[in-house]
Amino acid sequence: MSSQLQDRRSRRSHEAGHGHPVDAAKIRRRQFVWLTVGIVGILGLFLLRAVTADQSALGLPDKAQDFLTLSISVIVESMPFVILGIVLSIAVQVWVPDTWIMRVLPRNPFLRRAAISFIGVFLPVCECGNVPLARGLMVKGFTVSESMTFLLAAPIINPITIITTHQAFGWDNGILVGRIVGGFVIANLIGWLFSRHAEQDSLLTPKFARECRVPDSHGHGVSRWQESVALFRRESSIILPALFIGAVAAGAIQSLVPRSVLVSLGSNPLWSILAMMALAFIISVCSNVDAFFILPFASTFMPGSIVSFLVFGPIIDIKMLALLRTTFTAKTLVQLTAVVALASALIGLIVNYVA
Amino acid sequence: MSPDPTRTRFLRHAQRWRGVVLMSVVVVATLWLAATNQLILYIHPRYVVFTVIMAVIALVFVGASAFLREPHDHDAPPTRRQNVLSAAALGLSAVIALGLVVVPPATLSSATLEQRAINDSGLNDTQGQSVAAVGSTTDAAFAKFTVLDWSSLLRQTSELSFFSGKPVDVVGFVSADPDDPDNMFFVSRFVITCCAVDAQPVGVPVYAPNWKDDFAVDQWVRVAGGFETNPSRSSTQSIALLPDSAKVVEQPGEPYLY
Repeated sequence: MSSQLQDRRSRRSHEAGHGHPVDAAKIRRRQFVWLTVGIVGILGLFLLRAVTADQSALGLPDKAQDFLTLSISVIVESMPFVILGIVLSIAVQVWVPDTWIMRVLPRNPFLRRAAISFIGVFLPVCECGNVPLARGLMVKGFTVSESMTFLLAAPIINPITIITTHQAFGWDNGILVGRIVGGFVIANLIGWLFSRHAEQDSLLTPKFARECRVPDSHGHGVSRWQESVALFRRESSIILPALFIGAVAAGAIQSLVPRSVLVSLGSNPLWSILAMMALAFIISVCSNVDAFFILPFASTFMPGSIVSFLVFGPIIDIKMLALLRTTFTAKTLVQLTAVVALASALIGLIVNYVA
Repeated sequence: MSPDPTRTRFLRHAQRWRGVVLMSVVVVATLWLAATNQLILYIHPRYVVFTVIMAVIALVFVGASAFLREPHDHDAPPTRRQNVLSAAALGLSAVIALGLVVVPPATLSSATLEQRAINDSGLNDTQGQSVAAVGSTTDAAFAKFTVLDWSSLLRQTSELSFFSGKPVDVVGFVSADPDDPDNMFFVSRFVITCCAVDAQPVGVPVYAPNWKDDFAVDQWVRVAGGFETNPSRSSTQSIALLPDSAKVVEQPGEPYLY
């Protein structure tokens, strides 16, 4: 708290130097007014929730209720990882010294991307938390292809995912090894492919490309705390609507498409892989927990198709495409999806025939 | 047509604060669900602690974003097309956000059960019980077996000698057997391995002619009795539970099985 006070004090003196006529008492008063608004708003939400909880008249017909339950389930399941991702993105953008990350990485582009693949070991987020983090790294100076390598590798090569996958499958049938190696290979393949693109900026949405060009400390004398909070507000404004839309799409498809359509394809070496990739695309759960999701299917589906699910799912699914669209152009995403789908299917086939 | 300044101002504010508002809604809903022990309607219990910790962190940030507002606005003014798109996205998000705080939380119902075949062979046999392992189980322990335990045994063997004489006492919701909806129903539960998204229905078949006179689909019931050869001609189940007693009960606090 004391450091916050100090920061505000130093900010005020900065602002005074910046040429704004600042009435400290007035600013302070407005801050507390807005804090009160925030607290009242949150208490109001709690109150509303508690009051409406027992009103069975507000219940929906079964189909609509189940659609809502499934969508909320996707949101509630991804939310902690999104928050973790935003917090880590703030740490990287605001609190880690500019040059440090760039300095410790190798210069050779292949080694550099390989090293970037392992950053996830220190920043254990799943794919949805990874989008804000990758955006942060690009703002920090990563090239687009490097940040793509990070985006694709980190959800798979990170301690939480490896532990949960190990808990679910152990070392059986090469599923864990297939997942880690497959994720690494695909991430580096994509990084290499997109690094061949002459104009890296054209892969990004114009809005985000503009954001990357703005130098990040703009010398307004804004304190780090303020910058962190502003980043939280901005990232959640971009990520949350995308998450909601992805969750709605995933919920709607699940309450419309019978599961048995996919499961009946389970024992064919090729069809089982395509079915599993379709399932991964639709259900949109995070990589940190998807091993438990797929565990019940392990006895009917071939191991290669499980690997395809575990490699494809963290990179491409409905929710992820909505999130990625905040940063990349539609054309980039179509290319990305095609390459990743082919590569994961290939890895699945290899595991099916080897294991 | 020049843009109406009040509308532009409103859109700009909406664009600025939509994330914080949506975040508040999700976080409040999550914390309330956790406090009333209903978060398990959406996710597996093993994620509850982590989810609550991250929700509290987000709540601190929400409070801070009201307190420490930026002196300048760095957001580029949105184009018209972006305005339309983000208004549509915002509208959809607002509907779901409203659903999060206004609609009472509920478990999945038989509507989802119909989408996902009950007792599907895709289920892993490590969940529930195995025939080999229950050889020496006492009657008292059998009476405690859940719908998941029995359904996993029924999937493994259809020999009546294995089931006969064992006491059954299970709780679940009613769903009709699609092959003989008048005489057969399932005492059903959903099994969760990660979150409600992967819920797999399991059930114990019950033979009770004209059961619709006593129960409705989706009602929670407790059925006790023993397994016999299924008297139903049209059902595909070869063994069914013949109830000694069947009564309506409250929905249990943990409606899903793990």
